[in-house]
Amino acid sequence: MVQNLHEGGANYRLTLRVTGWPGFEPGQFVMLSAGPQASVPRTDPLLPRPMAVYRTRQQAQGTLVDVLYKRVGRGTALLAQALPGQKVGLVGPLGRCFELPGAAERALLVAGGTGIASVYELAARLVPRVDVCVLLGAATAQDLMGVDDFAALGVELEIATEDGSRGFQGRVTRLLEDALAGRKPGTTRIYSCGPTGMMRRCAEIAALVGVPCIVSLENQMACGFGVCLGCAAPLSNGSYALVCRDGPSFDASTIAWQGLP
Amino acid sequence: MSGSHALDTRVDLGGIRLRNPVLTASGTFGYGTEFAPFLDLTRIGGFVAKSLTLEPRVGNPPPRIAEAPSGMLNAISLENVGVDAFIRTKLPEIPAAVVVIASVFETEIERYVEVCKRLDGVDRVAGLELNASCPHVKSGGIEFGQSPTVLAELVRAVRNATRKPLMVKLSPNVTHIAEMARVCEGEGADAIALINSVQALEVDVETRRPLLANGLGGLSGPAIRPIALRMVWQASQAVSIPICGIGGIDDGEDAAKFLLCGATAVQVGTRNYLDPSAALGVVEGLEAWGRRQRAKRLADLVGSLEMPEP
Repeated sequence: MVQNLHEGGANYRLTLRVTGWPGFEPGQFVMLSAGPQASVPRTDPLLPRPMAVYRTRQQAQGTLVDVLYKRVGRGTALLAQALPGQKVGLVGPLGRCFELPGAAERALLVAGGTGIASVYELAARLVPRVDVCVLLGAATAQDLMGVDDFAALGVELEIATEDGSRGFQGRVTRLLEDALAGRKPGTTRIYSCGPTGMMRRCAEIAALVGVPCIVSLENQMACGFGVCLGCAAPLSNGSYALVCRDGPSFDASTIAWQGLP
Repeated sequence: MSGSHALDTRVDLGGIRLRNPVLTASGTFGYGTEFAPFLDLTRIGGFVAKSLTLEPRVGNPPPRIAEAPSGMLNAISLENVGVDAFIRTKLPEIPAAVVVIASVFETEIERYVEVCKRLDGVDRVAGLELNASCPHVKSGGIEFGQSPTVLAELVRAVRNATRKPLMVKLSPNVTHIAEMARVCEGEGADAIALINSVQALEVDVETRRPLLANGLGGLSGPAIRPIALRMVWQASQAVSIPICGIGGIDDGEDAAKFLLCGATAVQVGTRNYLDPSAALGVVEGLEAWGRRQRAKRLADLVGSLEMPEP
């Protein structure tokens, strides 16, 4: 661990130096140990936590991997206590990357809460190629993550907070409806990551307007590489997909939203 | 120089010859190939593949897993590709030097028998593990491994259906594990494996619902290790067929405890999820322990626990 910055509220920015990092694609994640590794393996909490890879920087001594997280439970509380120089267990990068938009498409990125961390790299890679509009949502201004990083990319950026402490007062999905108004189908692709309710609403709006919507799902997982079968997401065809192996990004129209926990 | 002498790590698990006693547990190691990027599969004793049923099987709705102190609960419902797809597509992908044990799971004895028959002629399968923790429909949903008469009927039927080494994986959800071990030995099993996950429940107090969609689940991980050690020791006092110890093994010392309690081999389970190369660490740790004990053969240490007289 190189840095574990408290960025206000429950938000933290973790920087890890990883040797042998093979590179990653937007939408991939890592499994991080719940807290720093001690002299003996920790057994409580037992399971690692899936976290989106926020961004990386190459250095002579290895790759710096940034992860944004919120201190919400026992695992992330322990992670928040980790000090520079300590080691954190990491397995990854894991999962499939986002399917990228066509050259003529505009990318509308809608993210809320910790889901914001999943779409930064996508925005960064798309900026030189297509029009990118980023809509970020949170309960309050203090809950927002990474706003300055997105602004620095030069993307079109709009913010919604439920209490109105920053940007539009209300749900970020209202901004999505506005952004889609007057758009012809086939010219826009939506990418959405955040709370299930937010992604489900994005999927509904996309279906109404007739534009494709890709969602990046979260789920409990023990392994992250398709073995524990814990992270099943129900599909509209009646079967299950594994969020870790078949996702985490999915075409929103294939998800059976009512079956998601 | 006790730390550097030659140590023979080979063991015979009821006719399954292993280069060392460390296997990986069914359901925690996929079909083997998932772990190829993380460890050399020929360095571990072998692996037990995900339990197979006659037909492909879809699992339970989410949430399927939940965390517990030093453990996890799961209710996957043994989702798998089915025995035929395993033989056709999964087995050929596993390198020849890797020992593969197939795990079998079904809801009726006749179906167990059919799955075992299909595996019987497959050379790449070194042995069969019979998962006896499935609810038996005809007995009103109790596990096969919870009734001595149902367990005896199952082992007898499968024994008649296969010449492969047969290892029965016992359920820990019983009062007298020794009795279940004796039933398996009496019906011709070559080995027993224990313990499967412990039936458990975890609760969300705000929603007043179980954490798992299925309600109940199976507890695994270090939390169950002392229970597993006790059951392995009790079983080892009751039978003379070899025992494979399972339950919360994280490192070589944990594995050593199972050998001391009477296990000829062990299976690493939940730890594979958190550290996909964990089984290799268990092999190395177990070897280091064997050298510290100045043993010539790891097998010589099996059952050497000095238990006080009652």
